[in-house]
Amino acid sequence: MRRYPVARCVAVAAMATLALAACGPTSESGSGVGSGKGHGTIGVSFDLLNAVRTSEKSAIERAAASAGYKVVFDVADQDAQKQASQIQDLIQTRRVDALIVIAQDGKQIASSISLAKARHVPFVTIDRAVADEQDVSFQITGDPHADGELAADEFIAAARTKPLKVLELVGALTDQNAIGRRDGFGNTLKGHADLTVVSQVPTDWDPSQALDGTSNALQKNPGINAIFVPSDFLLPSVQSALSTAKRLAPVGDTKHVFLVTIDGDQNGCKAIRGKTLDADIATRVDQFGTEAVQAITTTLAAEVVVPKTVRSAGVTLDQANFATVKARVWGCGD
Amino acid sequence: MKPATRVRDALLAGARQPLLLVLLVLLLALSVSYGDFASTANFRNIAVQASPLTIAAVGATYVIITAGIDLSVGSMLFLAAAIESSHALAGVPAGLVFLTVTAAGVGMGLVNGIAVTATRVPALVVTLATLQVFRGAGGHITGQQNITLAANLRGIGTAAALGVPAPVWLAAGAAVGGGLLFSRTVFGRYLQAVGSHRDAAVHAGLPVRRVTAGAYALAGLLTALASLTQTGRLGAVQPSIGQGYELTVVTAVVLGGTSLFGGRGSITGTVLGALVLTTAQTGLVFSGASPYVFDIVRGAVLLVAVLAAAMRWRDLARAVGPTVLRPARSRSSRRKPAKKW
Repeated sequence: MRRYPVARCVAVAAMATLALAACGPTSESGSGVGSGKGHGTIGVSFDLLNAVRTSEKSAIERAAASAGYKVVFDVADQDAQKQASQIQDLIQTRRVDALIVIAQDGKQIASSISLAKARHVPFVTIDRAVADEQDVSFQITGDPHADGELAADEFIAAARTKPLKVLELVGALTDQNAIGRRDGFGNTLKGHADLTVVSQVPTDWDPSQALDGTSNALQKNPGINAIFVPSDFLLPSVQSALSTAKRLAPVGDTKHVFLVTIDGDQNGCKAIRGKTLDADIATRVDQFGTEAVQAITTTLAAEVVVPKTVRSAGVTLDQANFATVKARVWGCGD
Repeated sequence: MKPATRVRDALLAGARQPLLLVLLVLLLALSVSYGDFASTANFRNIAVQASPLTIAAVGATYVIITAGIDLSVGSMLFLAAAIESSHALAGVPAGLVFLTVTAAGVGMGLVNGIAVTATRVPALVVTLATLQVFRGAGGHITGQQNITLAANLRGIGTAAALGVPAPVWLAAGAAVGGGLLFSRTVFGRYLQAVGSHRDAAVHAGLPVRRVTAGAYALAGLLTALASLTQTGRLGAVQPSIGQGYELTVVTAVVLGGTSLFGGRGSITGTVLGALVLTTAQTGLVFSGASPYVFDIVRGAVLLVAVLAAAMRWRDLARAVGPTVLRPARSRSSRRKPAKKW
């Protein structure tokens, strides 16, 4: 331990600096407090933070602020154990009045739900369904199966003018949203002779795999003229692959590859506006925040929330209805 | 040395790589099975897709040869991409952005290297910590948002020179430069010495700490280069970039014959490892396999790589003999046990 003291100090200082940079005073990590009137505090625990989650967080903060709640925010970095510890801390140490949770794992969250129930803390889950639905105060999720069906409807409509050879990208095979979207899409397409899924490529929600998979599929099946992208954040990868294959053309062009995505984020909205995307099934992110906070108010008033479980299908945004529907799509906001 | 002799030596070196045969068989099988597989466009496609992995894996080879490991590769890739897309570098000429990103890569590698050498904490633990730190820092910079990359930064992933895509040129440069550094320089020999027997290297007076830190710095540099190439291809920076990439990189390196225990490996093997992985991935799409099969194949390749590495280690142990690789026993313990009556 007597040798290289300077090097050790540099190493420790560098690590500490980077750690501090990573845990800086942002609303994305650690805890943030929204503006409230002091009616109580809502603890929010997210599985991760990305573009969709950032919008969900904003929706919760807006709804909480208008209802007079403070918000304490934690992110579990896709670690179910970490999320359980954070929720325990929110309940026992920070003594929040209610919880809004996006579970990293719908089954492993059971112990946190039990703890909240034992301490009489309302537990609201959003976006991802949990196994113990009967023990949560309220649950509102998207309906991935219905979203997949809505996406398939767009393909069925487009196939009326010309037969479609479809490349279907699939998200992570361990994610219920990815599986729901895939199944809804696949089941709806069955029996339509003018629609053929010629290739099904897993992406593991990884943009690089989406890029390589799309390039490979276009190489194998040059006749592909339609692509189902299960999330907006994979859209740049798909467009990059189309561009490399010299297949990227605007809607209406004879070379255009028919594209439908799900989420309704800024990428999707921008692409529809730029006429490079045909349709986007937008998740009702604002509705999640509003209804979750309403449910907490109801539960804290010792009333029962009815219905206890809500599955909210997305809204179809396409070239025809863009002007009228964009206001309801979270990614089209300023 | 005459050029013909060099070519012959290179061919012989290639022939010593069992993975070359695996790659050739794989290419042949896929070409026979799927007529459109054996096309120039598809081989170009495979070469481009393998390029970022090749570049990152060459860097990881240096680290693994020193008996180290770098689990922060994927997070470094993301942080480098985040720096590239940051507001601070908006409007800055592409060359300066690339220089900044590669310098940041060296810095990240040095953080790993210095932490490993100065603290003697296992590299696995150190780089597991920096994996979190780098990803957190990247998230801080991007705000976890999807960021579209400026057009002038995309050329490194999409342009071509003399008909060869830029990523392939970069991967070839990393492989050739990396190979020469490994086989023709004192630094390369020191790397092997440190990985073979660290204590012996220390006693021989080799600059073990500087060599180890240098290996991590090089890995950081090449990971940043891989990041520039990959984001150039993608055209956007997303928070999920590089997640789990360390597993793919280590698979390519170990598949290429580099020992996880250090001291032995080759850049040629690593390049072949990256090509085999990418070719298999492309082959799966061509085969129309179920999406579930992709994960099975990926896991199986990693398992084969690790088993092959373990078998090679046992072969090495047998060849070198017990005196070197087993703890020395005292004279008394070497005596035959007394017969029991």
